[in-house]
Amino acid sequence: MAGKEKIKSTRRFDACPVTETSAGIPLKEVYGPQDLQGIDYQADVADPGEYPFTRGIWNNMYRGKLWTRRVFTGLGSTADTNARYKYLLGKGASGLYCFGDTITHQGIDPDHPLAHGYAGVSGVSIVCLQDMYDLFDGISLEDVSVSFNNPSMAATIVYSAFIAYAQDMGYDLKKISGSILNEPIHLVYSMFETNAKPLDLAAKLATDVIEYSIKNTPRWHPIAPNAYDMHEKGANAVQEMAFTIAIMEEYIQRMVKRGYDIDEFAPRVNVFGCACDIDFFEEICKFRAARKVWAKLMKEKYGAKKPSSGRLYLSVHTSGNSLTVQQPVNNVARVTLESLACVLGGLQSFDPAGYDEGYYILTEHSALTSLNIHNILAYESRVASVADPLAGSYFIESLTDKMEKEMFKIINKIDEMGGAIKATESGWIGKEMESELIKEQKEIEEKKRIIVGMNEFVVSKEEEVPIEVGRDRPLEEQMATSKKREDEIKKLREMRDNGKVKSALEDLRNEAGKGEGYNLVPFMMESLRVKATLGEILGVIRLANGTSYDPYKVLQYPF
Amino acid sequence: MENSSRKIKVVVAMPGLDCHDRGVIYLSHVLREAGMEVVYLGKFNTPEHIVNTAIEEDADVVAMSYLNDHLYMMFFPKVVELLKERGANDICVMAGGRIIEEDRQKLRDLGITGFFGQSTPTPIMIDHITERVRKERWKSA
Repeated sequence: MAGKEKIKSTRRFDACPVTETSAGIPLKEVYGPQDLQGIDYQADVADPGEYPFTRGIWNNMYRGKLWTRRVFTGLGSTADTNARYKYLLGKGASGLYCFGDTITHQGIDPDHPLAHGYAGVSGVSIVCLQDMYDLFDGISLEDVSVSFNNPSMAATIVYSAFIAYAQDMGYDLKKISGSILNEPIHLVYSMFETNAKPLDLAAKLATDVIEYSIKNTPRWHPIAPNAYDMHEKGANAVQEMAFTIAIMEEYIQRMVKRGYDIDEFAPRVNVFGCACDIDFFEEICKFRAARKVWAKLMKEKYGAKKPSSGRLYLSVHTSGNSLTVQQPVNNVARVTLESLACVLGGLQSFDPAGYDEGYYILTEHSALTSLNIHNILAYESRVASVADPLAGSYFIESLTDKMEKEMFKIINKIDEMGGAIKATESGWIGKEMESELIKEQKEIEEKKRIIVGMNEFVVSKEEEVPIEVGRDRPLEEQMATSKKREDEIKKLREMRDNGKVKSALEDLRNEAGKGEGYNLVPFMMESLRVKATLGEILGVIRLANGTSYDPYKVLQYPF
Repeated sequence: MENSSRKIKVVVAMPGLDCHDRGVIYLSHVLREAGMEVVYLGKFNTPEHIVNTAIEEDADVVAMSYLNDHLYMMFFPKVVELLKERGANDICVMAGGRIIEEDRQKLRDLGITGFFGQSTPTPIMIDHITERVRKERWKSA
């Protein structure tokens, strides 16, 4: 051995370099009883199932019912998605997840010129009522909960189609459970803003779904604002929740204006779809703080009396942004950590991202791995057996309290600006998010945020452990899938009774011109039943509200 | 001489309906900080709009990003083709996002460079842009 250079650890005396949370909240080295000063157990924490629900919304939490174990699903055709549903249900999934394709989110049909190549790409194409028959063929809707990830104005139509299908199939609507994202305001910052404008109309349509749902599908959650997208576009943990709560206030105020008592609808509009990122304790405290803020707001600001109005259901897709394309197998560790935070944070449902999220939609294998992260946490690890096991920790309670105060500061500020729509239109929320995004990216570049395999502990391509990842379909195949869908819709237009379509659309258009108090869901259902399409339905509603038929101003109203 | 010291002008755009714009938002910020002029088109652009803007703005670079799916293989070549048609092949075309290995040679053959992704340090992107523009300006000087 003599003469040979020996390998030394260069990191032997490394210390933890982190002194603040991801959102920039300073962290002390040690927390103690003094950090709990001003926190009253009964008023601020309370037992699980008790107001303000900091410790969770049910007294026995997962002993009563485990979280809903979903896995991201949304594949090219409705038939592919249906097959994946059956596969996952056979492997222990308890809820289904439906992610629309790009153009469904955009609210345009597959035969729209700009949709060329996009139908059935990275999500499932939902255009007409028939699609619901294909998606849920052979699945009993009364025995599974379905979560639709449709955020834009298109959500109104997806909901209408789902309910029309359930009704036509003879299901008891009172037994149908699930949720739909249905929150367009956040889209201005995150994804498909073209189909969120005009904001006022978009918020009106979302409110129609809320109103129809509380009367007809009482087990359904008609709005589940997408905090996730705001986080992934820059909002830190505090902002993510504060912005989302401020956005929800817009709908609460609309429902109150329509004459509903807060306790009539609050228990149904209390589901948030959040992100769960890698900052373990901050994420846990984010969930605890958000529940507390929501409960207080419902009671103190809106005068809710029912305990169920103050219960905030939290649902998560673990952060795709936190994952790397390098060494995808490392993502299993990240997703597991994030999923554990979801459980310790007392969530009602979450879907662990696929380790190959950075590549493409989950493969069957990565979907199964995600499902098994659920199963390992739920059935193997014993972490779910005690409700809110971290309560009472000096650190956890102190950080929860701090985050609650920070959330309220932002919520009050937005209130002073005149609400979330105003704060969106003025660009304030967008600017806040952008500067956070830039700060975060800078920290990654400067290695103040370490991401293993990406900016530190990097390995060469050759050293990577080979693992199967989701792959893009080749361009020709993508174009062919989209073309097939385009042809299907063109055929639908030829085969249907266009006289009936026209008359249903005209009825809808007429109703849509009447304003806020006129609910359009029944009219959308009727249009769908005579085979009108998503693009047509949105188009006439847009026309009735003085905007162009086509959000991209390419198509004209065909009738 | 004046030509080669002029501020570098970059049109930053995403073609098609991809919505993953975190990268272009950050890139624009970084390029501005590096002293370049950025014309930010953001999401949802047709190749025609990108090319028109690049020509009207007399840009040095068109920097495009795409992550969602495979349609970039339709959009990127289309942008190159349109630039050529309009006699603007001195505008450097660069692409980034999630461009899979197998496609890169085809794109290189069209003169597209870059292929930066999630983990590329921004100084590398800035150097690449500066270097390519310097060569292009020297060629046409």
